[in-house]
Amino acid sequence: MAGIFAAALPLDAKESAGLPPPPGSYTLDHIQRVPAGIVLEGTKFPRALSRYTTGAITLLAFFYSYCADPNGCPLAWVAFEKMREEIIARPELHGLVRLVFMSLDPAHDTPGMLSGFARRYESSASIVPWHFLTTYSNLFLKPVLRDMGEEISIDRAASGGGGMVINHLPKVFLIDKQGFVREIYSNQSLDAAMILGDIETLLLEGSKASGHKE
Amino acid sequence: MKGCARYALMAGIIAAACGITAPAARSDETCLSPYTAALIKGQEAFLHVWTLGEKGLGDGSDKLVTIDVDPKSKTYGKIVSSVSVGGRGEAHHMGFTDDRKYLWAGRLDDSKIFIFDVGTDPSQPRLVNTIADFAEKTKFVGPHTFYAIPGRMVIGSLSNDKTRDGVTGLAVYSNKGEFLSAHPIPADNGGDGYGYDLAINPKKNVFLTSSFTGWNNYMTDLGKLIKDAEAMKHFGNTMVLWNLKSMQPEKTLRVPGAPLEIRWSLNEGDDWAITASALTSKLWLISHDANNEWQAKEVATIGDPAKIPLPVDISIAADAKTLWVNTFMDGTTHLFDISDPTKPVQIYEKVTGKQVNMISQSFDGKRVYITSSLLSRWDKKGADNEQVLRAYDWDGKDLNLKFEVDFFAEKLGRPHHMKFSGPTEKASLDMPGRTAPQ
Repeated sequence: MAGIFAAALPLDAKESAGLPPPPGSYTLDHIQRVPAGIVLEGTKFPRALSRYTTGAITLLAFFYSYCADPNGCPLAWVAFEKMREEIIARPELHGLVRLVFMSLDPAHDTPGMLSGFARRYESSASIVPWHFLTTYSNLFLKPVLRDMGEEISIDRAASGGGGMVINHLPKVFLIDKQGFVREIYSNQSLDAAMILGDIETLLLEGSKASGHKE
Repeated sequence: MKGCARYALMAGIIAAACGITAPAARSDETCLSPYTAALIKGQEAFLHVWTLGEKGLGDGSDKLVTIDVDPKSKTYGKIVSSVSVGGRGEAHHMGFTDDRKYLWAGRLDDSKIFIFDVGTDPSQPRLVNTIADFAEKTKFVGPHTFYAIPGRMVIGSLSNDKTRDGVTGLAVYSNKGEFLSAHPIPADNGGDGYGYDLAINPKKNVFLTSSFTGWNNYMTDLGKLIKDAEAMKHFGNTMVLWNLKSMQPEKTLRVPGAPLEIRWSLNEGDDWAITASALTSKLWLISHDANNEWQAKEVATIGDPAKIPLPVDISIAADAKTLWVNTFMDGTTHLFDISDPTKPVQIYEKVTGKQVNMISQSFDGKRVYITSSLLSRWDKKGADNEQVLRAYDWDGKDLNLKFEVDFFAEKLGRPHHMKFSGPTEKASLDMPGRTAPQ
């Protein structure tokens, strides 16, 4: 797993530029507010998307359960597992960060289906919860995708072999406690050290605003 | 979990975890942002040309012209769309959003930015948004380079709204067109504050900016400008290396003579970029020195500098072995062997017009497109002021003209920047009859 992230960092100790900046030494733009939406987790009971994008720092990615493109959803999955490990190893981050995967195919990825994924990470739910969300249908999904700037399409050519392939730009959204997207990572920039630095930057920002350390 | 679906995902996760990933499909046109997706697979289908309007010619408006460039198409070489935006504001450069759905096109005089939907139907772009308050929001003038990062656009500018000289900066906008932040080009510690192009190296967490000149100069007739010794002092002489994450400058490099377009090598493992300085007619290499410090080094001469050929646009091959360079004043297209970037060697040249500026090549290097206009006040006059787009096949030995479009004869204006689109392929998620693996 380290190999994925090593390539994204200037690891040479002698590198003179481009080093990860110290947390808090830079500002992350308020890119956009996460839109309102209706989601499902585990059951068909509707929940507000904001329940999973406010109140804690959130890493959110869109995926679908049968995606096999190593440069797509699996890459985000590996990144999230790495982040989960990093956060578990750092008590000062416990309870402050959540991970969210939201499905791009609500017809296939039902709440019951996704709960199978979620069960794998239940043991660390109190430290760094990992939520697997879906929604009722494309009618509920499309406005969220549109407002998040996540353009998707069916790859007709690749889907011909019986399995559907959903083209989408793999992105991971870093969301602050107020529900603002503050950074967007692509498969070119899924770097654990950088992501942790951004999380710490947001936490420092929050502690400055409230006048105490979180 | 359903069996086949789970195994496919897990296989992908394992492959990703072991670093066993297919090489990222590289961008078609080699100068795109590395974050650009929806890559064209194979032959480009359409060429979008951002075009300066010409007073008294057609509707006189700046416009986005789209040309069919698929040799198998019945309308190959023909104009299939023209979207006028109203007014003439010195249409110059444009850039895709990361998802390639939108093309942002800027004007250097009134600083307006026009956002076209080219993803829905690339043969028929639609103007969907206009940013008219760029100068007011950013305090910069002349939005020049539009460079995609995830969910956002970084805009490199040429000037500012106070002195209108070359002191300027970068602006970051959301893909929805909302201003997020401004970042001045450093004017201290050897910096001159000037800007032009920007290019990111994500793996090194750095990007470079280059430097041109301000509104006072680029909106002045060239013949008058070059006689103004004082004005000629106000050209950029630097490049800046920035930390991508912090958006803070880290080092200013001395590169005299207005370094313009910046091109990183796309080869895995390469960490160098190349640029051409317009006024001194040199190629410069930006790379690490023996002490692992980033440095800029002059590595080649373009044409005869004494004649001021004015190198303008450059285009690097996908394998970084060759570099096309256009020189505006003598209308010549040069090809350099840069397989050793420290020692570029010119291996070919051809006069491709009376004046030439932009050059774009297909990813496989087999097709090359050239346009003529540089700036409305700098373009030649009279019979030398041809305004054309020429499309060539490159067979490794010679550029062979396939078609040309005379933009004056077509009453369109002055063709400038070019971007490719592929054929329309997208389907909605609501496509009937879709099935997922069981």
